[in-house]
Amino acid sequence: MNEIALPVVFPLLAAVAILVLRRWAPALALAGATLSLAVSLWLMGRVAEGHLETLLLPGLPDMPLRLTAEPLTALLTVVIATVGTFVLIHSVGYMKQESGLPRFYAVMSLFLAAMQALVLAGDWVLLLAAWELIGLCSYLLIGFWFQRSEAANAASRAFLYTRSADLGLYIAVFILIGSAGTSEIAATMNVGGSVAVAAGLLLLLAAMGKSAQVPLQDWLMRAMAGPTPVSALLHSATLVAAGAILLIRVTPLLAPGVLLAIGLVGGFTTVTTGLVALAERDLKRLLAASTASQYGLMLISIGAGAPLAALLHLVAHAAIKSALFLAAGDFQHARGGTGFDRLESVGRIRPWAFAGFTLAALALAGIPPLSGFFSKDAVIAAALSAAGAVWLAPLALAGTLLTGAYLARALRLLWRGAGGTRPVAGAAWMGVGVWGLAIPAAALGLAFGPIEALLDLPAPEAEGAWAVLLGLLAAVSGLALGWLVPARRLLGPANPWAQSGLTVAGGLTAVVGRPAMAVSRGCERLEDRLYAAALRVGRRGLTIARGCERLELSLYAVVLGAGHANLAMGHLVRVGDERRIDGLIFALVASVRAWGDRARTLQSGLIHHSLAISAVVTAVMLLILILASLRF
Amino acid sequence: MGRDLALLTPEIAVLLTAVGALIAEMLRRPRISLALAAAGLLVATSLTVPLLGTDTTVFGGSFRIDALSIWAKLILLPATVLSLLLARNDIGGTVREGTVYSLICLATFGALVLAGAGDVMFLVLGMLLTSLATFALVAYPDDDPATEAAMKFFVFGSVAGAVMIFGLSYWFGATGSTLLTDLARTDAMPLAAILGLVAVVVGLGYKASLVPFHFWAPDAYEGAPLSIAAYLSVVPKVGSLFALTQVVRDLPVDSGWPAVMAGLAVLSMTYGYLAALVQDNVIRLLAYSSIAQSGYFLLGIVAVGSSELALPSIILFAAAYAAMNLGAFAVASATGRTLEEFSGLGRARVLTGIAMVIFLLSLVGIPPLSGFVGKFLLFAAAIDVQFTWLAVVAIINSVLSLAVYLRIVMPMYRPAETTTVAPATWPGVVVMITFAATLIIGLAAQFFLAGR
Repeated sequence: MNEIALPVVFPLLAAVAILVLRRWAPALALAGATLSLAVSLWLMGRVAEGHLETLLLPGLPDMPLRLTAEPLTALLTVVIATVGTFVLIHSVGYMKQESGLPRFYAVMSLFLAAMQALVLAGDWVLLLAAWELIGLCSYLLIGFWFQRSEAANAASRAFLYTRSADLGLYIAVFILIGSAGTSEIAATMNVGGSVAVAAGLLLLLAAMGKSAQVPLQDWLMRAMAGPTPVSALLHSATLVAAGAILLIRVTPLLAPGVLLAIGLVGGFTTVTTGLVALAERDLKRLLAASTASQYGLMLISIGAGAPLAALLHLVAHAAIKSALFLAAGDFQHARGGTGFDRLESVGRIRPWAFAGFTLAALALAGIPPLSGFFSKDAVIAAALSAAGAVWLAPLALAGTLLTGAYLARALRLLWRGAGGTRPVAGAAWMGVGVWGLAIPAAALGLAFGPIEALLDLPAPEAEGAWAVLLGLLAAVSGLALGWLVPARRLLGPANPWAQSGLTVAGGLTAVVGRPAMAVSRGCERLEDRLYAAALRVGRRGLTIARGCERLELSLYAVVLGAGHANLAMGHLVRVGDERRIDGLIFALVASVRAWGDRARTLQSGLIHHSLAISAVVTAVMLLILILASLRF
Repeated sequence: MGRDLALLTPEIAVLLTAVGALIAEMLRRPRISLALAAAGLLVATSLTVPLLGTDTTVFGGSFRIDALSIWAKLILLPATVLSLLLARNDIGGTVREGTVYSLICLATFGALVLAGAGDVMFLVLGMLLTSLATFALVAYPDDDPATEAAMKFFVFGSVAGAVMIFGLSYWFGATGSTLLTDLARTDAMPLAAILGLVAVVVGLGYKASLVPFHFWAPDAYEGAPLSIAAYLSVVPKVGSLFALTQVVRDLPVDSGWPAVMAGLAVLSMTYGYLAALVQDNVIRLLAYSSIAQSGYFLLGIVAVGSSELALPSIILFAAAYAAMNLGAFAVASATGRTLEEFSGLGRARVLTGIAMVIFLLSLVGIPPLSGFVGKFLLFAAAIDVQFTWLAVVAIINSVLSLAVYLRIVMPMYRPAETTTVAPATWPGVVVMITFAATLIIGLAAQFFLAGR
């Protein structure tokens, strides 16, 4: 079953093709994404019929790389391919005026491939590789406008933050493979005891980095310096989701204590970043804070032991938040920026985009019958029924309330006031992108029933009317508060603290962030040392390469010699014709003697030459033997 | 323990001989030292004869008393005695003459240890014993060429030895044992098996001067006294080739060693003869010829474990090679080092000339000489294990070798330009003995083969 690899392969081919051809970049990227979407849908259909597939690829000894198609992974590929396709459609319009498009589309396609590989990965090694690749793509895409120091700094910061949190993933994977003896993810879920606790906490650290949980949320806010399609794809629906996806996939491993820790991290994040969002003065940064807040909600439900609710919210959020970002991209083009002071009344000027934005915002706030209502209801139900409900339920409700409040505030700021517009190029493409995601954002609730039936994940136990009632109450009152009361009054004394957003991170930096930065600095130093070592290896390599060059020259001489021998052969035949057989034999002798002379030149008498030749032949012998023993 | 020591009496005798020769030298009695060494080695040879047919191991399997190690003694001990006689001609009358005899005995002891190795530690031990003694032997003349030759020999030997010990540690790591018989266990760890194999090939290939580990050989042969060159071309080489045989007997075939051996065989034969073709110095020519002959040994080694012909062919060719190569060196010792010095030899000294022609034809592999029987069996062994292409390459190389050796023969029958000095005693004796051996081994083996 090699079809599993296709969702990964198509975008990858697109990336390679773009880099090679350097033209038709948007078309190629779109083709890759669309094909990936088609294959994902087909794969989903097959999985829904009950075909579970695994593809083994040669990897480390005894640890093959594996791609697994099961309900969870198939569903996630569909989500990623869908969001990816519409975001790419949108970027055709959004990026119309930019230069360096091949780079943009190639990295976007590479990112899609890596992300698909990450969700399909059935073993830790592949997952780790994909995890690193999406981090790299994120770095490259945030820094797309690397000429702006703000973007370049944001890219480095995002990379460093996530990389240092990735240490958790590395150690966890080492622990898991070490104790389970296999790299297959499903097989490592059986370890128990302190190993499981340690691994769970380390995985939580990695997920906190990728999913921008407090105190590691700062990079996500700054990542908004990148192009808006990048924010829509990477920093809302996919890359940021990797943390939550990781935790959902390892649910069987998580011990009760770890679950509570996850829930508390999520709860804390959802409230603090919700407050930050409420005070934010830039639309994209508001959406970024909201993203962190929504992933906090997902972590709450994972912590409550209901990963299904988290997954539903993840799917709904992917469509909703991408649609919001894409609409924000539209506004950005209309006004040349994303600060709210510039965006006043933009809603009335770009009604279609604003309608899509509103629809998605209401869905995120949790207004029935839009998708967010169902997913948020599931999250709240999970929090209410969890073991740590005393902690989790109030946090989840507060998060919901804040969601409504900051979204209502954003809508109000976008609607009121006055301002002009400037021509928006490629608006049609962007409109398709926005609505292509806004419609699923609204209607996804219908699909939740089949998804629940398909997935084999623990669901929230109590689906009581309480959860619905409380959730709706929180959402509506949040919306009302946000629309009616100015944020400054709402936040009161917390306003300056929330407004800067940084103080949250700054205050926490002292407690948690600074050690993290110390670790990251240590890593940097380690990397420096590794770099120096690599440099040394590289120099050696250069020496070897020079040796190879010399070898090549001598090979060239040999080839030349062969050519001469051929000429000599021709000469030989002629001589044979002219001078009969004895002449032929003498010519043969002469050519063999010439070969002997060549053999003598190898024997230069310099011992390091001799040793080098011996070493090269030994290395060739070793290489041939090893290649022969692999026999794949 | 008593049984083990009884089985090891030949080795013990060789060791005691080395010590005895050294003591005689310390008493400033070099002739006694020589006599003692020759007699001791002959005694050791006769002590070996009763062991024929034994197939057992001593010291917990770490040393083997089998056909290979017994025949190694029966071939190498007499060959060493002949080398001693040649050495007397070369270095007789120099100071510290007796140390040469003692060192030769020690190096032979190392070669015997190699030939019977059943344990990687014996491989290392044998390699070091042989190497250290031969380094000193090459450097003995204490002039510039000898020092340079010994230096190259030493540097090459240290590198090869270090690589070998390093690689062997992988085998030990993979099997947890130093016994060769446990190498079958490396089946599960192909990488460790390969690293160890390559290391052993480097170490033993250096001793056997297989291409591409041969670079020291022409220089060392040229720089060293002629007798030492003759000795180096026979005793350590045969010892290490036998050791290689011992190793591959226990290696799993699927580790790819037959292909490695076949590749080295092609390289050694072809390169050796091609390079020999352009030498003007007889010693260097014989050095390259001996490199090529090592390649022929590998034809038999390729077949080890799969063909019954493998061991007999290797042993027989070793005996033939020892006789004809020592003989050729002995003639060179009596005549000179350059091709010019050979011109007119066949007319001036008819018998020596005939003997040289016989040695060289035997090296080519012309029936009914011993070299023919040896090569014939080697080809048969290689064909027996489906390495026909290798046998074809070897036969083509034999044709090439004719051109190489005829380069010595042709000037021998030109009209004499210089008057050659009367031959010394000892080389004459050696020529006679090896001449007889070359003929007898060939004829006897052909009768033996016909009887089969």
